[in-house]
Amino acid sequence: MQFFFEVLIAGLLSGVMYALVALGFVLIYKASGVFNFAQGAMVFFAALTAVGLQEKFGLSIWLSIPITMVVMVALGFLTERVVLRPLVNQHDITLFMATIGLTFFIEGFAQLVWGAEVRKLDLGIADEPIEAIMNSTGMLVSKFDVTAAAICGVLVAALAFLFNKTKIGRALRAVADDHQAALTVGIPLQHVWGVVWGVAGFVALVAGLLWGARNGVQFALTFVALKALPVLILGGFTSVPGAIVGGLIIGATEKLAEVFIGPLVGGGIEGWFPYVLALLFLLVRPEGLFGEKIIRRI
Amino acid sequence: MIYREAGQFKTSYEKDSQIFPIAQDRYAVVALLLIAFVAVPLMATPYVFSAILIPFLIFALATLGLNILTGYAGQMSLGTAAFMAVGAFASYNFMLRIEGMPVLVAFVLGGVCAAIVGIVFGLPSLRIRGFYLAASTLATQFFVVWCLTKVPWFTNNSSSGVITAQQIEILGFKFDTPQEKYLLVLAIVAIMALMAKNMVRSTVGRSWMAVRDMDVAAEVIGFRIMRTKLTAFAVSSFYCGVAGALYAYCYLGTVEPEAYNLDVSFRILFMVIIGGVGSILGSFLGAAFIVLLPVVLSVIVHYTGLPNSVTSNLELMVFGALIIFFLIVEPHGLARLWQIGKEKLRLWPFPH
Amino acid sequence: MSERKIGDVILKVDNISLRFGGVKALTDISFDVREHEIRSIIGPNGAGKSSMLNVINGVYHPQEGTVTFHGEVRRDMDTHQAAEHGIARTFQNIALFSGMSVLDNIMTGRNLKIKSSFVEQALWFGRARREEMENRRVVEEIIDFLQLQHVRKTPVARLPYGIKKRVELARALAAEPKMLLLDEPMAGMNVEEKQDMCRFVLDTNDQFGTTIVLIEHDMGVVMDISDRVVVLDYGKKIGDGAPDEVRNNPDVIKAYLGAH
Repeated sequence: MQFFFEVLIAGLLSGVMYALVALGFVLIYKASGVFNFAQGAMVFFAALTAVGLQEKFGLSIWLSIPITMVVMVALGFLTERVVLRPLVNQHDITLFMATIGLTFFIEGFAQLVWGAEVRKLDLGIADEPIEAIMNSTGMLVSKFDVTAAAICGVLVAALAFLFNKTKIGRALRAVADDHQAALTVGIPLQHVWGVVWGVAGFVALVAGLLWGARNGVQFALTFVALKALPVLILGGFTSVPGAIVGGLIIGATEKLAEVFIGPLVGGGIEGWFPYVLALLFLLVRPEGLFGEKIIRRI
Repeated sequence: MIYREAGQFKTSYEKDSQIFPIAQDRYAVVALLLIAFVAVPLMATPYVFSAILIPFLIFALATLGLNILTGYAGQMSLGTAAFMAVGAFASYNFMLRIEGMPVLVAFVLGGVCAAIVGIVFGLPSLRIRGFYLAASTLATQFFVVWCLTKVPWFTNNSSSGVITAQQIEILGFKFDTPQEKYLLVLAIVAIMALMAKNMVRSTVGRSWMAVRDMDVAAEVIGFRIMRTKLTAFAVSSFYCGVAGALYAYCYLGTVEPEAYNLDVSFRILFMVIIGGVGSILGSFLGAAFIVLLPVVLSVIVHYTGLPNSVTSNLELMVFGALIIFFLIVEPHGLARLWQIGKEKLRLWPFPH
Repeated sequence: MSERKIGDVILKVDNISLRFGGVKALTDISFDVREHEIRSIIGPNGAGKSSMLNVINGVYHPQEGTVTFHGEVRRDMDTHQAAEHGIARTFQNIALFSGMSVLDNIMTGRNLKIKSSFVEQALWFGRARREEMENRRVVEEIIDFLQLQHVRKTPVARLPYGIKKRVELARALAAEPKMLLLDEPMAGMNVEEKQDMCRFVLDTNDQFGTTIVLIEHDMGVVMDISDRVVVLDYGKKIGDGAPDEVRNNPDVIKAYLGAH
């Protein structure tokens, strides 16, 4: 039973990180109706840039992170300007495919500039069990995981606040509801989109640093996006709480399934189990956990 | 001047509904087939066969499959390679386990198995659409490849997961050289492309497009949405399945799950977009483009003296940029450019 | 039009109530439609007219009431059954298949007449080929009837609004329907286009004897061409009868002009 809880906690902690990536998607989807497949590539690019700056120019991590932040926000703005603005009013699927193209471009660009080898990223947080918890309950809970989850938690809360309580958040929600209506009441649409993409770039950076420090900075980071997809299916593409709850559920069930069901079928089920779970859920509730039911009219 | 349809009057509906209603198109297709079947085999080198022509034809077939689903029936899929894998492994097992199974029958059965899997994974499309469906086809991709890797029966207990494909033999004739394999692939692809063309100009094709464009209206005029979508999934997966079998038998020479990864699915999606969504011709153009691009790039990189590692990253960037470029500038892809060219040619040299 | 023979009741809706969540779209609506007649449904915006059509051909499923078509009593229709039983319709916001040509759009209207399987169609052989040609002939007759020859091969997305509406009518007629539901066939048209459309509707009714249920806002048109009119307001029926009766019905006047 203790082992079960250990796995569950590890799952929930990584779930918080999924939630963070998923939130990057939700933010862009809500504001511009784009499903940004390139979010994973952005995560990879961010981590690689942070490490690359350290390596090539001998910068300290605390200097390279702010520079990367500037780069990421610029990348976000640029994407909006070059890729998505010309495609405005196109079919959703067209936009989606454009972001797949963007994914390839960013992946190629990142490796062209910084090289393809696996790097270590040290944020100065040790990946060791927290003694207090180990002593009192005997469970092994990683210090790194808890810190990362805490950072993600704070960021998620900040984004939720930004979205629901501030003026820019209100503009965002208005844009999400109806582009043209938002324009007519004087919301600067493109400005808002620029901000959203900038924020998405920032979220990608945080996710990239945390995942990169955990698993090494490597191409596999792009798969984080694929992990976030089931989270989105579960939580609904437009719901902030959905992303959070979905992230926790996927994180927890994925780890539990791998540990408890995996051995029965040969392991490696982490790759598809969340999808199947999300799909089964989808068949029951096509609009996701917190998504709104759409009544189609003709 | 040359490409003009003036004077070609259709005197029956039969004539007007031909595959290629314009005479010049008919001549062009016949000429192209003659070149492909006769001239090319006489002239091409083994390298050209196995590095360019064979993969081009096989990918064209897979692109055709995805185009039926995405371009004609409007159902997004990111799991094309999974259906190819099913086709390859099913063909392998039919030939392995049934004594005297003819290769062509095994390919067809492989396609049928892929079609069945396609129907199963197409079921969610009845309830969900758009991104949700795209995400669910990703599930297909991961699940199928995982399944083929983990269940030893599929790979006949091979420890590495990589199996050598059986010898291709039809009526006692062995297909060994790249040239012979090319001819086999060409024949299969030509026939299946013709069938696809027939489907999209008949009721089944119209039902796909109707569901794609306006599903409620399609239902109201009597199309059954479920049957239509599942037919699209089945036919599309059949094409992908046969393409997958050809990929294993005529291109790779091995049958292995890793050859059908997500990257292949994306690549085929790119072929559809660049070639032309909802176009049979576009499937061929797109496949040709994407197969040739890396070859051209590597030549360029070679001559500019850049390190070889640059090529693959440059390839990713060029692919990505091209996709975005086409989506913005010409969402109907090369096929539309071709069509515009033809329209111009009809009037040339007197455009007014 | 008096020479036209109006037959027995072919469609009867009884006590239809339709709700979306808490919103009542239709409340306790009953009326009937006789064979060969032109029956109009009118009412202010949001009165539930389109919902009524959607109930008749099974797009919406009412919570209460029955739909009787050709003597068969049903709890609700199913779109496919409706199509098979000869109910065709057009939509308020044009619902053509925008990626296909005019010819292909109209051919889709024939889909229920085609029996060959997709395998036969892939081989373009025997029955599939024959059917394609037979149906093409019928479709060409409809193209002639609605004067669409010049745009036969044009993708519908390129057509002007008025012609699109006509193509939609053609697609519905291609099914050789017994009953045609027209949802605002003349909305947004100029006077000439309206006249053309009116003529096509009347000709359809005359030549093929098709029963027509029509939603329309233009009172002039409705009063001129309808045999009988149903008036809805806020999902309730407030009037039913010949155009003259309805015109003088105090409830109807009130709904259209406001309370006096």
